Amino acid sequence: MIEMIDVSKTYKNGVMALSDINITIPRGDFLFVVGSSGAGKSTLIKMIFREELPTSGSIIVNGKNIVHLKEWEVPYLRRNMGIVFQDFRLLPNKTVFENVAFALQVIEAPRREIQKKVPHVLEMVGLGDKGKVYPNQMSGGEQQRVAIARAIVNNPLLVIADEPTGNLDPDTSWEIMRIFEQINKAGTTMIVATHEKAIVDGMQKRVIAIEQGNIARDELKGVYGYED
Amino acid sequence: MKIRTLEYFIKEAVGSIRHNGLMSLASVSTVALTLLILGMFLVMVLNLNHMAAALESQVQISVYLQDNLSEQEIAAVKQKISQLPGLKKIEYVSKDQALQRFREQLGEQQTILNDLGEENPLPNGFDVIVEHPDQVREVAQAVSNIKGVEKLRYEKEIVERLFTITRMIRTVGLIIIVFLALAAMFIISNTIRLTVFARRREIGIMKYVGATDWFIRWPFLLEGVMLGFLGAFIAVLLLTKFYSVFIGYVTESIAFMPILPSYPIVIYLGVFLLGVGMTIGALGSTISLRRFLHV
Repeated sequence: MIEMIDVSKTYKNGVMALSDINITIPRGDFLFVVGSSGAGKSTLIKMIFREELPTSGSIIVNGKNIVHLKEWEVPYLRRNMGIVFQDFRLLPNKTVFENVAFALQVIEAPRREIQKKVPHVLEMVGLGDKGKVYPNQMSGGEQQRVAIARAIVNNPLLVIADEPTGNLDPDTSWEIMRIFEQINKAGTTMIVATHEKAIVDGMQKRVIAIEQGNIARDELKGVYGYED
Repeated sequence: MKIRTLEYFIKEAVGSIRHNGLMSLASVSTVALTLLILGMFLVMVLNLNHMAAALESQVQISVYLQDNLSEQEIAAVKQKISQLPGLKKIEYVSKDQALQRFREQLGEQQTILNDLGEENPLPNGFDVIVEHPDQVREVAQAVSNIKGVEKLRYEKEIVERLFTITRMIRTVGLIIIVFLALAAMFIISNTIRLTVFARRREIGIMKYVGATDWFIRWPFLLEGVMLGFLGAFIAVLLLTKFYSVFIGYVTESIAFMPILPSYPIVIYLGVFLLGVGMTIGALGSTISLRRFLHV
């Protein structure tokens, strides 16, 4: 489903973020991307949803090289993906329901579809009864679950999470991982960038370790592998 | 575009206008002022052009004779004028007829003539009509050389002076309006910048969930257009009021001035100014979107 071929990225200031990366991610995979901050993890993740372009190489998503996408095609690429951030990125003046509905509203989904899908995904992340609550009345873990609901409400083929548990305590982090596992079981590809050793070690999933712009390891049922 | 999407855009735009409060007010006032001045200049230029056109099509020269000419002398002058090329008609206008005509022109204000008593200050003369407006100047030249002609008046002279004035007003007006329009655009673009800033979180999310660039841009563009429209609307209202007051004033004091009636020019001007207002708004927000909305 995703293939990176000889992908390199050098930033304008001369910093080499990634060099000659080759990765294949089959559909339905659950993948951790680990590495210390500045290793190139974030750049790698951002390239998949075309927030960054590689300096050279190809990135194939769903059989299409997204490096050559026109600007106006990018939104349509992103409609196949759900993205979850460390800082949740919810709108404080909208309720939980409205926050999730917003993702469908701005891609002009029919009202009926919104009414049907939003309660369903809120149920999935265990917030079925919190639709009318505002984000600032919730715990961090709950807010992140709202963000996850928003990411999956459009039935994406792929969910990308960039340090999703960075602001959460360990117990809550595990709850989030359980939800990701559930999403992955339903057939959605999961890519999670993190530097939380305990989680990576406990989940026993595929792990790609990035060090200084290179892939240091790519293991199935891997572990975090180093202390930081 | 779906109706619900349009509804969403309008809601967002109206919300921003209210949220920006004072800046919105400043934008609307600047647009209103700009367009009010533009409108006033246009009204002036249109009226001057109208006057010039009315005068220019005139083929008449009024010839005034010296006092105390005998009837033979008057006949001789008439004879000489009649022989000029391009002449169509010549008609004698006695002092009494001239006075009578003047009274009619004045209409209700003819009471001012009562102060003259029995005195008639107007001279005897001829109305000379030429074949074509282009011949007016030539004929007038020839007539003024005839002995016994005191003075003559033809409209082309006035037309030329009018054109000079119109050109001057147009230039001055254009400069003022360009400056004001730029100021209005600048203020609108600053207002939109505030909105972009206030909504940067939403914009970010919209990008990640796959909203198209135009979907993101529309509310901002609409906000600018609405600000422009509101400003223009106020300008049109004021202009309509001012113009009807002006017409009332002019007809009361200068009876025979050929001034354009309010209808239909106020309608045309209104539509034009609303268009200009919305364009200023759209351009203002485009400037801001280009610089601050990286979608």
